[in-house]
Amino acid sequence: MVELLFEDIFVLMRLDPDGKKFDKVSRIEARSEQFDMFMQLDINTEIYPMHVGDKFTMVLAPTLNLDGTPDSGYFVQGNRKSLADKFEYVMHGKLYKISEDSSSGKNAKVEIYASFGGLLMMLKGDPSNAANFELDQRIFLLIRKV
Amino acid sequence: MAPVEEKLRCTKEPYIEDVGSRKIKSIRFTTLSSEEIRKSAEVQVWNNRIYGNDLQPVENGLLDRRMGSANKKIQCATCHGKFTECPGHFGYLKLTLPVFNVGYFSSILDILKCICKTCSRILLPEEDRREFLRKMRNPKADALQKNALLKKIRDKCKMFRCPRCGSSNGVVKKARTGLAIAQHFTKSVDESAEEIRSALSHKKDKQSFQAAHVITPGAAFALFKRMLDEDCEVLNLYDRPEKLIVTEIAVPPATIRPSGFVGFGRTSNEDSITSILKNIINTNSILREDLEGGAPASKCIDCWTHLQIQVVEYINSDSPSVPESKHRGLIQRLKGKQGRFRGNLSGKRVEYTGRTVISPDPNLKITEVAIPVLMALVLTYPERVSYYNIEKLRQCILNGPDKYPGANFVQKPDGSTMHLKYVNKKIVANDLKYGDIVERHLEDGDIVLFNRQPSLHRMSIMCHRARIMPWRTLRFNESVCNPYNADFDGDEMNLHVPQTEEARTEALMLMGVQNNLCTPKNGEILVASTQDFLTSSFLITRKDTFYDRATFSLMCSFMGDAMDSIDLPTPALIKPVELWTGKQLFSVLVRPNACTRVFLNLIVKEKIYTDNETMCPCDGYVYFRNSELISGQLGKVTLGNGNKDGLFSVLLRDYNSHAAASCMNRVAKLSARWIGNHGFSIGIDDVQPGEYLNQQKKKKIDEGYRECHEHISSYSKGQLTCEPGYNAAQTLELKITSVLNQIRTTAGNVCMNTLHWRNSPLIMSQCGSKGSAINISQMVACVGQQSVGGRRAPNGFIDRTLPHFPINSKTPAAKGFVANSFYTGLTATEFFFHTMGGREGLVDTAVKTAETGYMSRRLIKSLEDLSVHYDQTVRNASSGIVQFLYGDDGMDPAKMEGKDGIPLNLSQLFMKVMATCPHRVLDTLSPSEILQIMDDRLSKHDMSPEGGCSAAFKKLLTDFVNSRVVLMRNTRRALKLDEDHTEQKDISLTERIAANISGISSKQLQVFLDNCISRYHFKKVETGAAIGAIGAQSIGEPGTQMTLKTFHFAGVASMNVTLGVPRIREIINAAKNIKTPIITAKLLSDRDALSASIVKGSIEKTVLGEVAKAIQIVIKSHRPYISVKLDMGLIKALHMRISADSVQLSILNHPKIKLKPEHIRILRSDKLRIYAPEADKSQLQFSLHSLKAMLPKVIVKGIPTAERVVIDKTKQGIYKLFIEGTNLLAVMGTPGIDARNTKINHVIEVHETLGVEAARQSIIDEIHDTMRNHGMSIDKRHMMLLADVMTYKGEVLGITRFGIAKMKTSVLMLASFEKTAEHLFNASYSGREDKIDGVSECIIMGIPMRLGTGILKVKQRLEQIPDFKYVPGPVLNRSNI
Repeated sequence: MVELLFEDIFVLMRLDPDGKKFDKVSRIEARSEQFDMFMQLDINTEIYPMHVGDKFTMVLAPTLNLDGTPDSGYFVQGNRKSLADKFEYVMHGKLYKISEDSSSGKNAKVEIYASFGGLLMMLKGDPSNAANFELDQRIFLLIRKV
Repeated sequence: MAPVEEKLRCTKEPYIEDVGSRKIKSIRFTTLSSEEIRKSAEVQVWNNRIYGNDLQPVENGLLDRRMGSANKKIQCATCHGKFTECPGHFGYLKLTLPVFNVGYFSSILDILKCICKTCSRILLPEEDRREFLRKMRNPKADALQKNALLKKIRDKCKMFRCPRCGSSNGVVKKARTGLAIAQHFTKSVDESAEEIRSALSHKKDKQSFQAAHVITPGAAFALFKRMLDEDCEVLNLYDRPEKLIVTEIAVPPATIRPSGFVGFGRTSNEDSITSILKNIINTNSILREDLEGGAPASKCIDCWTHLQIQVVEYINSDSPSVPESKHRGLIQRLKGKQGRFRGNLSGKRVEYTGRTVISPDPNLKITEVAIPVLMALVLTYPERVSYYNIEKLRQCILNGPDKYPGANFVQKPDGSTMHLKYVNKKIVANDLKYGDIVERHLEDGDIVLFNRQPSLHRMSIMCHRARIMPWRTLRFNESVCNPYNADFDGDEMNLHVPQTEEARTEALMLMGVQNNLCTPKNGEILVASTQDFLTSSFLITRKDTFYDRATFSLMCSFMGDAMDSIDLPTPALIKPVELWTGKQLFSVLVRPNACTRVFLNLIVKEKIYTDNETMCPCDGYVYFRNSELISGQLGKVTLGNGNKDGLFSVLLRDYNSHAAASCMNRVAKLSARWIGNHGFSIGIDDVQPGEYLNQQKKKKIDEGYRECHEHISSYSKGQLTCEPGYNAAQTLELKITSVLNQIRTTAGNVCMNTLHWRNSPLIMSQCGSKGSAINISQMVACVGQQSVGGRRAPNGFIDRTLPHFPINSKTPAAKGFVANSFYTGLTATEFFFHTMGGREGLVDTAVKTAETGYMSRRLIKSLEDLSVHYDQTVRNASSGIVQFLYGDDGMDPAKMEGKDGIPLNLSQLFMKVMATCPHRVLDTLSPSEILQIMDDRLSKHDMSPEGGCSAAFKKLLTDFVNSRVVLMRNTRRALKLDEDHTEQKDISLTERIAANISGISSKQLQVFLDNCISRYHFKKVETGAAIGAIGAQSIGEPGTQMTLKTFHFAGVASMNVTLGVPRIREIINAAKNIKTPIITAKLLSDRDALSASIVKGSIEKTVLGEVAKAIQIVIKSHRPYISVKLDMGLIKALHMRISADSVQLSILNHPKIKLKPEHIRILRSDKLRIYAPEADKSQLQFSLHSLKAMLPKVIVKGIPTAERVVIDKTKQGIYKLFIEGTNLLAVMGTPGIDARNTKINHVIEVHETLGVEAARQSIIDEIHDTMRNHGMSIDKRHMMLLADVMTYKGEVLGITRFGIAKMKTSVLMLASFEKTAEHLFNASYSGREDKIDGVSECIIMGIPMRLGTGILKVKQRLEQIPDFKYVPGPVLNRSNI
């Protein structure tokens, strides 16, 4: 079985907080319900439109293989069954930075950064949620609206 | 040379010693005596006819066959050589009477001044003479010291009466007219002169007493002949002085003065020298006839003078004594740019070259150049036939000279050559043997040198590999435009083909494009992507470029001609559709497949970067991690030139030049093809302003105009408050200019914000490929203020710029503000102002090129022979040490990675190590462990000063590691962990996170430190490097880019400083008077405004007129006086401490006002009375008035040279003083000034007050500041070297002809620089010996210089030379079996 790195339901708070800069890509700001995580994510809205108030499940997984075999790093074509079948929007990328954010008072938060071919994700929350992550990890981001 | 001559047959061959090859070691300059001239000559020349009736040269004529051949038809009668073979032989021409040699004229004059005109002995008392002789003979004295001594001797030889024979000597002077020497007895103390004078005074018409006596060349010759050898030595004469006077002329060989017949006619066209000599022969024979025939003396003398003038013309036709010569004398042949020295000896014409128009080709590699087939047919390379190439060369020979790839010549080992056009090619091809040399056409992969003028730095000539291509232009990759400064608007470039294997290897290793990616000016990358490459990279890496599988694969194939294997990455978007992003394409570009072991790590902030690091909303934060583009849109900062931590720089430093070059090749190919498919152009809609922009612009302009009008009206009412140091009109200008500049800036900003992202000019300015925000806003919004000479448009008409405006109008429009954009079009007046600004720019460029060119030439001449030696010292050609360690650390400027010439960019390197060498969670170190490991590593040998590590680098490294430790502690504190300790066993969650965030493993630290240290040692400057020439180029080349804008603000608004080329010139020339001397003074109590103004008051030059309320003449009955009343209020306010007493003192000390203390009466502390000193009543009125005119100019306080003092307040509230003027010593001595932190920008003044070391530092700082003001960075090592060269003689020498003459000893070098003839004549006067060891001398002599690869000599034992056979080794030999 796949061991998921992170799973939560987010609510989209804001679309393009700094103004619309790109035609096809929008930056969303979302907050999760369960772990109270804050997320910024670039999404190709041309093929997967999103709106303020949307509620969606987001999963971060190290592999798409249902049996949990690790991702080889090479892309294999074919319509095998995979974790992606249950989701509507899947991206693949790399975790490139973990940093602490001590600006918000006593409880230091941890920020996790990932880049999906230039589409960036920033996940901020309690350090406990960051334990599974490692630098330079290849991760899949899967989204399904609920 | 003489095959005709029958060899003398002997029964026994005479023994001829084999002298082997000889090398010129030194040259001595001397004078020739008439005997020597006669001996070396083949023929006496006396016949004034050149050609006889049979059109053959006349015997004893100027073109006598024995002097060599003057044209192709004549064969030499001495050596029987043809025109091309015979080097020529001298003849001689005997003059009837001796004449002066112009070149030595001043020396002759000086000698005559020093000797007695009766007994030829030196005019010195015996003991003085001995003393001087002893000093002159001092073997340690060099030429410069001897010259100084000679000057001293000349000054001493002022005796009127000879100490030996007692006869009187007059003053020797050059006669007023012509070239003659006269002896005046007028001043000499002689009774007879007195007698004559008294006798003359009785005569009615006051005839002045003239007792001048002309010393004829003949008389001088006789005097010189009688001179003692010892006296000659005292006068620093190397040889007999009579040689300075011409009695015989050496007629130069006919080969150097060719003669030809015009058409079929009988008139010949003669060289200048021949014609002058012909005239001399004529005059000479007339003179002889006159003398022999007993013609009247006056006629003879006239003839003699005429002869003198013609001999002068022969030597120097530009001499003032020659009236308008049409000919070119000997000196004219030597001097000047086209002269022998600069035109033929220092620079020579070469074969195997080509030149044509250039054009771009992005499909070529950066190391390649495409050569047209037509050119390749002519350019050849002599290839030696061997087993490996014989078939290829046979084919070449068969193809012949007209078919590519062919060959032009075949050389056999016996030295014979065959032109393939005239022989049977088949036979030659069949006869080809190993060891023959075939001059084959250029082929792909051959090594050529490629160059574009002006060659301002060493990257202007680089080595490429040839690619033979059709059509007619030379082509190369656009990435290499930068070093050549080439564009394709019709530029032409040159190509040279090295002809030996040694030359090829050396060219490839030292001058190859790959090995010259970085400029030694400051280590920035020079060969990098430009223009369209940047634009397309920018567009490709946009966040919203997505490609499906087909497009992505196609584009991957673009970058390598579909020849490379490429690993397709996992698509960034997997669902709902597979899509790859443009950034992934760039990741592929950097690392196409897993076999390419390139792990690029870099962080660059692009122009569009705002904040939030990688999360920057504009995507301007470029982050590569292990060759994967994480974020950021690539632009000029990453890919372009002039950057130290861009993509190519990092590839070059972390990997090698090949990695960087192949990446550049891929970028070029991908970009060119991508943009060809994508399309990129500018249309009218790109420059159309939107509705919103129009409104905003109108609003801003209206606001600005209103503000300007307010200023103008307040100015005309006289209510404008002046800025410090300015008058009302200047203040108004200042205010209006700032308002108008504001308008353009805001209009530009609005314009940039409203344009659509697809706007082409916007894209270009954002990625940095072309144009700036100002250019766009000029097209779209508003052109803005036009300036001429840094000011608004000047008044070309009376009190107005153009007749379209009212007189004295100062409105924006009347003074050159252009409110329209280029899109809307300019009005007539606006257009006129715009052209005024444009013309200034054009004039500037034209002036600047000539000026900087000369500056570069001087710099090169003074620094050319400096190089690094094996002991790391920097020495000049005569092995004089200039620096003990180059640049204080012995680092190569071209290899510096950090800013300001720091060897390494540690943070980048650290990031790379962290990314490429990942740590496991378990093995992170605690801060104390880190410091421990670092200390251990730093105590090793290669980090010690003996191991070649500078203290600065050690400190840099320690500081960096410490800063990482601080970061680590911060993280741990934030995560509430023990700051100084990591638990190894218990791996808690937070511990893991902390490790992920800022943990360093021992492996990582080890790798990082080792990497840093080994790289540091790799960056040492190579022995033999011609750092002098490189330094000169690095300072000279930026000069060409500097706009000639002279004035610029320095800190304070009201202070102007000379900048740009004029300032650099001032510093380099070591000018005594500079345009804007400024002293920057720190204060002892620098936070106190009051003390600042007190110090200011005591420094600033204050004249009486400024502090006096009134200076008036009071006429009273008994004694009129001038009453001076001081303005005590003002004096108090300015803290000047002036009282009536101090004023009295300063008036008394004034040099022009000659008053005595009793003339000045102090009435009160602020009132004085000054009485005129004249007793004469009639003069009283005048003297009072002249006093009154002078009094206001009396300096009552301050330093006379301190014209103006301005107090500057920095943001931190620290007060400083800027003093316009000189006299650093007085300023430093002023109470309240912090003397140790007081500076002046005047190098000579620094030298005079603080000494030569301070002057050196001052030169470095001043050049650095000037360059920085123009946004140019130059490695400080170059400036150090320049400053050292200027100061290493113990005084500050300018890089001018005077300074260089003091720095260098070589006559040839000085002669090839400036004042050619002067240096040569002086050298032969004192018999200078010139060692051939400098760069210029070696080039002139054609000897390899002892610099660079020439610094070492290889000696080899020649007992047994191994036999090379041009046959392949056996296919099977023992080792294979």
